[in-house]
Amino acid sequence: MRTLRHARRIAAKDLRIELRTRDILTAMGLFALLIVVVASFSFPTASEHREQIAAGLLWMAFLFAALLGIGRSLAMEHEHACIDALVTSPVPRESIYLGKVLSNLAFVGVAQLLLLPVSIVLLQLTPGRGLALLLVTVALATVALVAVTTLLSAMAVNTRTREAILPLLVIPVALPVLIAAVQATSIALTGGTLTAATPWLLLLTATAALFLLLGLATFRHVLEE
Amino acid sequence: MSVTDTPRDGSTVHPTAQPPVEPTSATGHAEPGPGRPTVLAVATAASMLVLLVGALLWAPTDRLQGDVQRIFYIHVPAAWIGMLAFGVVFVASIAYLVTRRARWDRLAASSAEVGVVFTTGVMLTGPLWGRPVWGVYWDWDPRLTSFFILWLLYISYLVLRSYVTEPTRRARYSAVLGIIAFLDVPLVYVSVRWWRSLHPGPVVANPEGPQLPGSMLAVLLVGIVAFTLLYLLLLRLRIDNAAREDELTAPRRHAPAAGHRGA
Repeated sequence: MRTLRHARRIAAKDLRIELRTRDILTAMGLFALLIVVVASFSFPTASEHREQIAAGLLWMAFLFAALLGIGRSLAMEHEHACIDALVTSPVPRESIYLGKVLSNLAFVGVAQLLLLPVSIVLLQLTPGRGLALLLVTVALATVALVAVTTLLSAMAVNTRTREAILPLLVIPVALPVLIAAVQATSIALTGGTLTAATPWLLLLTATAALFLLLGLATFRHVLEE
Repeated sequence: MSVTDTPRDGSTVHPTAQPPVEPTSATGHAEPGPGRPTVLAVATAASMLVLLVGALLWAPTDRLQGDVQRIFYIHVPAAWIGMLAFGVVFVASIAYLVTRRARWDRLAASSAEVGVVFTTGVMLTGPLWGRPVWGVYWDWDPRLTSFFILWLLYISYLVLRSYVTEPTRRARYSAVLGIIAFLDVPLVYVSVRWWRSLHPGPVVANPEGPQLPGSMLAVLLVGIVAFTLLYLLLLRLRIDNAAREDELTAPRRHAPAAGHRGA
């Protein structure tokens, strides 16, 4: 319980900084929107496979926006030497991890909530009764993606190239999440209900649980200096 | 290069010359025992020879695929080593985080490097066989895709290592990634399988008949033994090499190493 309370405080700190600067959300939101725009020129988004293309496109936008935002959120801790204060403060390392996961979830979640309606309009999608499945898929896959990206970006910011290495670490590990998310989203956009995508949702749940547990178990080895 | 040559040379002269002749032990790196790699090298060379004869001469020609099928005897053993080496990275990574001994990190790093060589071999021999038999070099078949992702995971592990300069930090970070990547493999396999089975794509023929004739199976087993020995030999040489690298850099990081836990 105390771990969670500390985590909430750390997340609140991040959200307060973000409310004052709006650095991360602006960068993420615009970047994701630009990906959708570029992809609309690049792929046959008006063809009969529109929903499948849109599903892949949405997740490319979500993935790259998350990499950008989470990389920033961890790099920020280093720029102001905030990470040293966090490490020396009497809170468990798990709280620091959970706190960063919570604030990163908030950043990525807000960016997704902004991007989803815009993409539905721009890509002429009609999810209809698939909307519930769409939202559940996005929620589960985002937890998995953010859990593993937060852990790996805590390592990436301490390498020679800082955040530049982050996509190389995250994307191979996150491929199962992306495959499942794209498939479930594709089912949702063609009007499928929750039951139609049960295997994918189960896989996403299992992945999210595994990545969160691994993050909690190994984060103290990452933050050890 | 010289590191790989020395034990082999030592082994070939072994029956005629006596042990003290071996020059490697005189240079002071005798600690891991140069005798073991030599025995291993002889065993590897012998089993490779048996594999070569078995795969190219003894095993019957496949009635449908012809001689192209013989690539199977190196492709499958290399794939087995690719997975074994990854398992070794996983175990060594956990052992490193628990014990903090540098040797576990050297084992993990060496196994990943040797593993990526074998996995690359799988990725190269697969298309060579696929083109004449399937008609295409590549297909997003579950096994191919899973292996491709396994290869990517290996690469990202090695990339991470090359981007972290401080040795203890590099060891910690790569151990964390080694654990995540290994546990990710079953998820990769499940997701890729479901993806292809739910998706009506081109149906790929069963690579080899449902049952394998006894002689083919025997050659395959020889291949697995030979490749496992080769893996152990390369791993051993790479670990010795890594230990020497650490010895070379040790004096320079002696002072910071003493206080690295607190710093």
